[in-house]
Amino acid sequence: MRVILADDSVLLREGLARMLSESGFEVVAQVGDAEALLAAVDADPPDVCIVDIRMPPTNTTEGLRAALHLRVHHPRVAVLVLSQYVETRYAMELLAQGADGVGYLLKDRVGDVSELLVALRSVVAGRSVIDPTVVSRLVGRRRRQADPVETLTAREREVLGQMAQGRSNRAIGERLFLSPKTVEAHVSAIFSKLGIEDTADDNRRVLSVLTWLRGDGEGARS
Amino acid sequence: MVEAASLPRTVPGAHRPAVLPLAASLVGIAIALLALIVDLHRPNGESAAAIVLHAAGGLTYVLVGGAAWLRRPHNRTGALMVAVGLAWFVQDLTHLTSPLAFALGDFFFVAYFGFLGHLVVAFPSGRLETRADRVVVAAGYLWALGGNLFTHVLFAPAGSTELLVLHRDATQYAIFDAIQQGLDATLCVTLVALVVLHYMRGTPPARRAIGPAAWASGPMLLAAILLSLPGVIGLAPGVENAVPVLTPIALASLPLAFVFGLLRSRLAVASAGHLVVELGSSPPPERIRDALAETLHDPSLALAYQVPGREGWVDAEGRSLDLPDRRSSRSFTVLERGGVAVAALIHDRSLENDPTLVEVVAGAAALAIENERLQADVRARLAEVTESRARLVTVADQERRRLERDLHDGAQQRLVALALTLSRAGERVDERPGETRALLADGERQLRKALEELRRLAAGIRPAILSDAGLDAALESLAEDAPVPVTLRATVDCRLPDQVEAAAYFAVCELLTNTAKHARANSVTVTARLEDGRLRVEVRDDGVGGAQFGGGSGLNGLVDRIAALDGQLTLESPEGNGTRVEFELPCA
Repeated sequence: MRVILADDSVLLREGLARMLSESGFEVVAQVGDAEALLAAVDADPPDVCIVDIRMPPTNTTEGLRAALHLRVHHPRVAVLVLSQYVETRYAMELLAQGADGVGYLLKDRVGDVSELLVALRSVVAGRSVIDPTVVSRLVGRRRRQADPVETLTAREREVLGQMAQGRSNRAIGERLFLSPKTVEAHVSAIFSKLGIEDTADDNRRVLSVLTWLRGDGEGARS
Repeated sequence: MVEAASLPRTVPGAHRPAVLPLAASLVGIAIALLALIVDLHRPNGESAAAIVLHAAGGLTYVLVGGAAWLRRPHNRTGALMVAVGLAWFVQDLTHLTSPLAFALGDFFFVAYFGFLGHLVVAFPSGRLETRADRVVVAAGYLWALGGNLFTHVLFAPAGSTELLVLHRDATQYAIFDAIQQGLDATLCVTLVALVVLHYMRGTPPARRAIGPAAWASGPMLLAAILLSLPGVIGLAPGVENAVPVLTPIALASLPLAFVFGLLRSRLAVASAGHLVVELGSSPPPERIRDALAETLHDPSLALAYQVPGREGWVDAEGRSLDLPDRRSSRSFTVLERGGVAVAALIHDRSLENDPTLVEVVAGAAALAIENERLQADVRARLAEVTESRARLVTVADQERRRLERDLHDGAQQRLVALALTLSRAGERVDERPGETRALLADGERQLRKALEELRRLAAGIRPAILSDAGLDAALESLAEDAPVPVTLRATVDCRLPDQVEAAAYFAVCELLTNTAKHARANSVTVTARLEDGRLRVEVRDDGVGGAQFGGGSGLNGLVDRIAALDGQLTLESPEGNGTRVEFELPCA
């Protein structure tokens, strides 16, 4: 699997590159800013890019802009954005261009090799990955208001969180030690309680769950 | 442009035509002439000199009093003086042949004394200020009008042929006459004592005003005592003969002293001209006050200014100041320019008796005062800026301290612990792989914690979303993360200057923290919108209210940061009824 790394911190980039190589990935390019990233992808599109959200020159969200650009111009290249920011808005922006093959992870996750590799494989497989911290912030935000989320059982909320992170029914079942049938029952209960239209497509599902959680689609922003 | 605010210049009657004083004065003059003619033509009368002096004594009161009455109709001094003059001539009724006239003259022989006492005690304001004043003056009236009536009707001398006499008894008459004269003397002494007391207690300008009366009342009342004493102790015949001559002279000393006081005031008014020259166009601030104090003979004089954009009055340094109220011993005169109050002279209440002087002096200094008012304005602003700058520095310093503490106590401690864990793992890596694995897992956990703390810290310093996506998005993120449920209505929809966005963001941040800490609120509503080029933000909670500036609320720092951008912040926090903070910032 071919990877391009974009991060302005050479130390982190090298460490990541070594770790990925050891895990069987092929790091085809390492770049330090968004422009170089786009050039590298144009020259030789990889399977996946790992992009630091914060890069020169402004050190704010260049990585995110670059990722969005890639989504449009290279839809087949999966993108995993590593972010310092627990901002639901950024995650939503990223997904809004199509939820298949994108991920928004907090940079801390890099410390957990297996988690990172799972996320990387997920996006390459065309799924979406949202950091649990971001998701819990979304769920928490709904929970504080008189909201249908309050009517969910504890288990259903867990399942909702897993869905929002981009997991499929099967992955959720494995994660929570539930049978596929039970997961399905929870999912349909959640959808009917929250009034979200169910969809078989996991990627469309994560987007509609996140959109619902963020309340963007309901006019009254809160 | 000069208005004496504290003077009752619109009291009813103040602008009435001066018929009464004129009429009273003319009557007084006529009576004086009549008395002169009657007395001079009387067989076996006093010497011509004594008669002329007698008439002149009363006439002085009538003339000076009439003039004073015309000049200051609201001040009773003039009317009282005229009354003394008129009452003085009641004595002369005893020189007429009619028994009724004689009886009236005899009964009210010393009636003038009641008015005189009133005049002396109330001088120069014409008001009786204390209860003691009023009691003594009332006693004086009672005695002056009723004393002779009482003794001469109830205890008439043996051969009295006066009208209305009810009882004659030589011995009793002698006793009561002596008692009456003794009381006369006592009353006189009391009056003198009161005047001296007023003088001693008076402020410098008050003393200056009372001075003439004090000095004149001495000989005057002494003469009155001499007049009363013969019956008690008896006087040498030479002295007794001198009494009718001395008394009118002594009596006239009060109106003359009054005239002296007027002249002096005139001189002071004239010297106001020097003030203009002396002050020039831009004297040092304290020089204006000193010059005014000197001209008005009031060392306690103070100046107050009205500064644009500020309620109330400030002193030359820009500090807030209250004008004295009606009950205070201080009074004030407001200076106007173009119908707008610009400054006030705070002076001794006794200067109210000389409004012309205050007005002229204040008018003369108006230019310099106007100048100083502008300076006071500048100083007031400067003082505010200096204070707020000092607070901003303090806030910045506290922020640095907090950052240092957070870094030191948080991330740094964790990293140290991590280093320790790793080194322990390193020591055990060969012989105890199981333990090493546990230690490494532990280290990773510590590292995660440290990372999370660093992330929070960085977001707190300046959130990237603010720079990247603007105020609406940053407030949304803030609302998501707030411990109290937040309803956000952010409709700014455009980018604002960096410092405005940052100030608004951190203000809301601070307010939400305050709400979480103190308000015990169930929900908060944050509204942010643009209106006429100004950002208006409102944070309203349904908590316990009672929030105040100062203390540990952090609201002061907030006010300063808003003020630093020329913004304004208002706080409404009634006890038990939620807190509403609104601030606006110009976005130009």
